[in-house]
Order: sequence, then C-alpha cells, then structure tokens
Amino acid sequence: MATTTLTPAASAYRTGLYEWLTTTDHKKIGILYIVNSFIFFFIGGLFALGVRTELAQPGLQFVHDELLYNQLFTMHGTVMIFLFIIPMLVGFGNYVAPLQIGAPDMAFPRINALSFWMLPLAGILLLMGFLTGGAAQAGWTSYSPLAQDRPLASTGPGEDLWIMALLLIGTSSILGGINFLVTIFKMRAPGMTMFRMPILVWTVLVTSVLVVMATPVLTSALIMLFIDRNYGGHFFDPGGPNGGGGSAILWQNVFWFYSHPAVYIMVLPAMGMISEILPVFSRKPLFGYKAFVFATAGIGALGFSVWAHHMFTTGQVFLPFFSLMTFLIAVPTGVKMFNWIFTLFRGKLTFSTPLLFALGFLSMFLIGGINGAFSAAVPVDFALQDTYWVVAHLHYVLFGGSVFGVMAGLYYWFPKMTGRMLNETLGKVQFVLMFVGFNLTFFPMHQLGLAGMPRRIADYASDAGWNDLNLAATIGGFTIAASTLPLIWNVFSSLRAGKPAGDDPWEANTLEWATSSPPPPYNFDHLPEIRSERPLFDLRHGRTVVH
Amino acid sequence: MSTAPRSRPSSLAIVGWLVAAAIGIVLAAWVVLHAGTIWNSFFPPEAKSVEGQEIRNLYDIVFIFAVVIFAVVEGLIIWSVIRYHRKPGDDDLPPQTHGNNLAEITWTLIPTVIVLFLFVVSWQTLNSVEAVSPDPGLKVRAVAGQFQWSFDYLPADADGNTKALFTVTAPVGPDGGLVLPAGEVTHLYLKSPDVIHAFYVPQFLFKRDVVPGLINQFDLDIPASDAGQTYRGQCAELCGVGHRIMLFEVHAVSPADFKTWMDKQIAAANATPPPAPSGAAAGPSIPLVAQNVKFDQTTLTAPASGFTIHYDNRDNGTPHDFVVLDNGGAKVYGSPTITGPKVADFPVPPIPAGTYKFECSIHPTLMFGTLTVQ
Repeated sequence: MATTTLTPAASAYRTGLYEWLTTTDHKKIGILYIVNSFIFFFIGGLFALGVRTELAQPGLQFVHDELLYNQLFTMHGTVMIFLFIIPMLVGFGNYVAPLQIGAPDMAFPRINALSFWMLPLAGILLLMGFLTGGAAQAGWTSYSPLAQDRPLASTGPGEDLWIMALLLIGTSSILGGINFLVTIFKMRAPGMTMFRMPILVWTVLVTSVLVVMATPVLTSALIMLFIDRNYGGHFFDPGGPNGGGGSAILWQNVFWFYSHPAVYIMVLPAMGMISEILPVFSRKPLFGYKAFVFATAGIGALGFSVWAHHMFTTGQVFLPFFSLMTFLIAVPTGVKMFNWIFTLFRGKLTFSTPLLFALGFLSMFLIGGINGAFSAAVPVDFALQDTYWVVAHLHYVLFGGSVFGVMAGLYYWFPKMTGRMLNETLGKVQFVLMFVGFNLTFFPMHQLGLAGMPRRIADYASDAGWNDLNLAATIGGFTIAASTLPLIWNVFSSLRAGKPAGDDPWEANTLEWATSSPPPPYNFDHLPEIRSERPLFDLRHGRTVVH
Repeated sequence: MSTAPRSRPSSLAIVGWLVAAAIGIVLAAWVVLHAGTIWNSFFPPEAKSVEGQEIRNLYDIVFIFAVVIFAVVEGLIIWSVIRYHRKPGDDDLPPQTHGNNLAEITWTLIPTVIVLFLFVVSWQTLNSVEAVSPDPGLKVRAVAGQFQWSFDYLPADADGNTKALFTVTAPVGPDGGLVLPAGEVTHLYLKSPDVIHAFYVPQFLFKRDVVPGLINQFDLDIPASDAGQTYRGQCAELCGVGHRIMLFEVHAVSPADFKTWMDKQIAAANATPPPAPSGAAAGPSIPLVAQNVKFDQTTLTAPASGFTIHYDNRDNGTPHDFVVLDNGGAKVYGSPTITGPKVADFPVPPIPAGTYKFECSIHPTLMFGTLTVQ
C-alpha cells in the first residue's frame, strides 16, 4: 500500500548501528525502548530467581551474604519498575501512538532520543553499585533512615548511585511525558478528534499527565535524600547518633505521592493495549468507549489521592480518607473490567496469542484488583501490610496486569514493527508456561502473607509452616523463567523467517495498520478518512475512502 | 498421502490433552484430600487478641465479597471465552454493539454501593481497633533497635518517654519476651533509636511501625482464656541486614502470675547491683574493639582457665555485647549489653578447651569470629 519515500541519498550515510545510535524516528526509538526494557527484564528476573532460590527452603543455602540478599530484592524491584515496565510501556506508546493519530513523528524527535538514551545510562549507573562495594539495599522504596549514610544502614556509594539513576530516569520520564502531551494535543491528523482517538492514545495521554504532575515530586525527594546522605541535610533523618530533626514519615509521603500514581503509569498503557486487542480479536468495537475514557481519567485523578494507603501502619496517616479514596478507585477500574468483558460478549473470538495474553490480563488483573480491596480495609491491612500478601497483590497487578499486557502488545504489534508474524505455536507455549508459572509463584504468596511471613527476609523458621508454599513459589519462578525461552526463540526465528505480515494481518481498526509493515519514515503516504474511532473498520466496510 | 480433514486433532494434540487431563485429575485429588488445610490457608490465623478478633470478622466480610465478585466476573470471562468462538470461514461480523447506558450505569452504581458499604464497616472496625482505654492495666514500651527487641515496663502514670521500672532485654525464651497479663488491657508504646521497624504478631492480626523520632501507641487486649500461651512476633519493616533475626515472643500469663513475675522483676531491678568485678579477674586480658558494627578481630585465642575480654565499643549510640557459643549454637557465656562509646571488662569463667564461635548477639550477621580455647 504505502511505499518508502526515503531518497537514496538520505539512507546512504545513515545505516546500521550508526542509524540506531542517532535516530530520531519515533518507531526506531520505540523499538530501542522495547529492546532495552527486555534486557532489563532479564536482568531483574535473574535477581528475582536469586531471591526465590534462597527462599525455596528454610536455612541459608544460596545467598550466604545477607547484605547481598537485600541488594537482590532492592535491585529486582528497582530494575523491574523503572527500567522494565515503565520504559517498556513508553516504548509501545512511542511506536504506536503517533501512528494511531496519523502523525509523522513525535512532536520533539530529538528530545525523544534524549529521553531514551538516559535510560541505559541510568541502568549502568544503578548496576555499578555491585562493583563499588554493594548496590542499594534499602528496598526499592528506599525508606529513610535506612537509606541514610550510617552504619547498619546504607553506607557506600550504592545508594547514591541508586539516587542518581532514578534522577536520570525521572528526568527522562518528564521529558517523555511532555513530548507525548504535545504530540497528542497538536499532531493529530485531520478528522482525528479527541473522542475518535484510540484508547491506547487516551491511556498514554492520561499517563503522561500523571508523569508530568507526579515525577517532579520524586526527583525533588531524591535530591533531598542525596543532600541528607552527603551534606548533612536532615530532611528525612529524624535522629540517630549525630542528631537530626527531619522526618522519616515525610520521605514516605513524598515517595508515595509519586509512586502510587506510578502504579497507574505502569498499568494504564497496558490497559490501553488490551483495549486495542480485545475489539480486534472479537470483531466488535470496544464496549462503552466514552465510559472507558472517563474511567481512565477518573483513575488518573483518584490516583493522586490514595498514596498514603501504603502507609496505613505508620500510625501517622488520616486513615478514613485514604481508605475511602482507595475503595472508590475500584469503581472506575470495575467499569473498565465490564467494558472489556462486554466487548468479548457476543463477539466472534479468534484465539491468537495476543488475545490469550489479553485474557490472561483480564483474569489476573481481576485478582490483583480484588485483593487490593483487602488492603483498602484499613484494619485488614494492619494484618497484611509488609507480608507476602502485598507481594502477591502487587505482582498480580504489575505482572498479571502489565506484563501480560506487554506480551499481548508484543505479539500484536511485532508484525507491524518488523513486517513478520511471530510464531503462534511458540506463542501459545509461552502463554501456558507463563500463566501457570505466574500463578504458581504468586498465588501461594497470598497464603504465606496470611500465615504471617514478612517480606524482605532471607530466611524463615523451618517450623513456621511456610516451607511448602515457598517451594511452590520457587518452582513457579523457574517456570516463568522457562517461559521466556520460547519468547526469545520466537523473536529471533521470526525475524529471520517469520511469515510475512502484510499491512494489516489482524483486520485491525486503527491507523497504524493503514501503512506498510514496517512503516516508512514519517509513516504515511495516504491516510484514510477518519470518521470514527475505527477508521480502518470504516474503510474495510466501504464507509470511507483513502485520499 | 491422504489429506486428513482439517478438523481432526493431531495425535500430538491428543497426547497434550491426555497429559493435561491427568495433571488435572491429580490436582483435583490432591485438593480434595487437603481441602481443610487449603480452605484454612485463605484465612489469617485464629485471632488471639480482642482487636484481632474484630479484624478477623472484617476480613471474613471482605472475603465473602471478594469470592462472590471474583466468581461472577471470572465466570463472565470464562463463559464469553467458551461461548463466542469464531468458527473457521465465518466472515460475518457480529452485532456491532457500541455500548448500553443502562448496563454501564448499573455496573458503576452497584460497585459504588459495595465499596461504600465495605468502607463503612471497615471504618467502624478501625475505630474500635484504634480505641485506647483511659485506664489500661499495664503500660509497656517496646524498643526496636537494629536488630533486637527489648521491653520497658512503665509505671501506671507513664507516657512514652518515662523511665522504665525495669527492662526485659531478651526478646525470646522463657526468661525473656513480652510478658503480658491475659484479660487486662495493655497499652503499648513503640520506640526506635535507629531506623523504622514494625511490631508484628501474626496471631494478633496486627502490626504497627516503630518509627524513629516519634512514639506510636496502641492497646492490646488478650482474652483471659488464653493465659499460658506464647505467640511469635517479628519485625515486619525492612531494617537492614539483620531484619529477619528481629524475632520476639509474647507470653500471655494469668494476672496473678503476672503480678508475681512483675514484683520479682522490680525487686531485682531495685536490688543493689553487685559490686562490679574488679580488674583482678582471673586470667589474662584480651582486647576486642567493636567499631562500625565490626569486630577488629575475627580470631581470638584464650586459656581454658578463664580470661577477661577488654571490650571497647566505639559505636556512638549503638549497643553491642559479647557472646560465646559452642558448636551446637548453645550459649556458653553472655556479657551485659553496653552502648557505645564505652569500655568494659567482661570476665569469662573457665570453659573447656575447644573451638567456639563468638559474636555480638545484637548483630550476629555482621559481628562474629572464632574463639580457640587452649
């Protein structure tokens, strides 16, 4: 359909590695984000395997240095959140959102490249902690005073490197957020009104608002913590041997003021992705498009008023307010769940791998939402906070939700990005392994938490009754690791010899499928008329024409 | 080669289904055999405090809603998946439903009502759990430091900073732990000298952070019928390398036993301390420096006839001690705890020749070494 318009002169001196290092094309930057994020997914996964191996049985068998154990789970959380999930979703947004609104590129292509290249640098800084006497070990939440520079807390440069890495990532996020906002507001194709935008674009828009409003709070707090550690700032240091005057609770307030909206930053675009996939594989429009948009905006707004539900047990929180807001955020989330289900309802479902992962998202995110209601009931949270229940909850949201969404998106958009289909059999093998492994790992953690096992411990008493469930979780962890092997094999073999995709292998609805696979630089030679949120559906059924 | 009909499943698929069915049958049998254990694992332990029982009641309410909502929604997903296949060659579009206002309003309002109900019942439980008795039977201050709990027993008119009547320094064991009268309300203050910890006893279904710079407090009410029981507790907020060893025990005793125990502890605390051991303790003096939560030596050699550890704790504000353990981990000698900067002589009585482990019992993961007795 569309043809490449690059002149030979333009491509002659920008080839290969040099092109990838200097590109400002949103599609190539999107792929860079995705590849970089997958690399950190494997690194963070190795850290998790270290933790799970140690916990398989009571006693210290694998990680004999308990400081290293604390570094492993700290780095697992930090890498997975800041270098995998968030940038992965930014990568999909970067690749897909400009295409979906019919734009030739992001609004600020060079800032887009800058945003990306900060991430590998931040990742290197973060991991360098292991070479400088120990990486950060205060948990990914880095609570003060444990994050302060003092004996038995966080001496050494590992924590400072953690701060600097997160500062870079935060800056990258803010630049990316502004870039998305300007792109979505100013660069939509003619006819692409706000309420004709694909849901993924809406979720990227709301996410970008969250990023721009919340991330500066985190970066400020990081600078204050750096001053505390290196220049005697006493912002978050209430005392200790050398006096203090700061507040340990203040860190938690500012940290969670960012990090709770960050949960939505990590899940809204994944919701957007499955909201693209479910209609296509049901051959129906998304049920309740406008309600879905308002629910997304509602989650974004409410997301700013629930941060202290991470702090119910501190004794320093106005409990009823945060409890009420936390319960209320279930309502727009429930609206989305029903919209998705009724998109399937009376559809004609094709069970390709993207739909399987999207259905996995629905089922697992449902559990992650429901077990969140337990923690919203403050007294129940008194029992569950900081136990393995919380580990189960957050993984059902961030793995069962976001990671399954990412996998669905990868199988869905890989043909557009590369021009080749991923192998369906390998995809289904991966789905089954990942789904079984995920539940075997994280479901028992509910029961461990109820039985009283705290988070972040390297060992537990052999008579506590936690042995079997921990062993199950460890077996599940290795099953998840095994599930990535068919994925890796699939990507490499399909890049070489996958089935050619064509422009629109899925009979999809949105504009990215109206151009070639992969699209040419600046994306479109022609655009179909945009008269609804499904311009390609309209075109396919003769309601509109290509100009 | 004949062309088999496309719809006939391959032998590989049949084997796959058989394997899946076998796994399913084994799993189902296992679940049936362990149904009671599995069912109980979805609930917290039986609550052993009055507050914990209220939290358990609330948990059960939330659990019922959770199970019903999960069953309905997951059922809808599974039903849609089973019911609405696209058949091969079917190119007709299904009805293009864009929405339904009545349905959407319904599934907005019903969840709103449910979460408001859950909020109200949890708020009521919260008020009851957080209520503080004006006249508690006992006031105790739990002090959580890296990485050990101690329990200060306070006079009746105390606040969180009052000097203790006496302190229990051993967090576990028959002579240590948090000893509480069953059937009376105890008011607990939580204090930390260093980082954040959390007081957590799973059987009370309760935890509260121990935050440096402020004093948290709550009431704990153990029913009289539970006298004689012991409950395990543990720090629940990451506090550093020794987080997992911050264990403690709660001993619930009858009020009469408690009074006897408390009188004995007060008498012991008020007794004139025995004269400090003179410098002329038996055996040679062996210097040992504790600095930056490390010992300056990891191997010590001493005579079996007894010796004195000249202990120099240089860590400002951090407590250390000196403990000797035999190969089985049993304590052979334990010194008092001293908080730095301070120097003390610990006379160690004669112990049999052999190889022992020495450590600071507050920081055993960081401060340890080998003691050879000849």
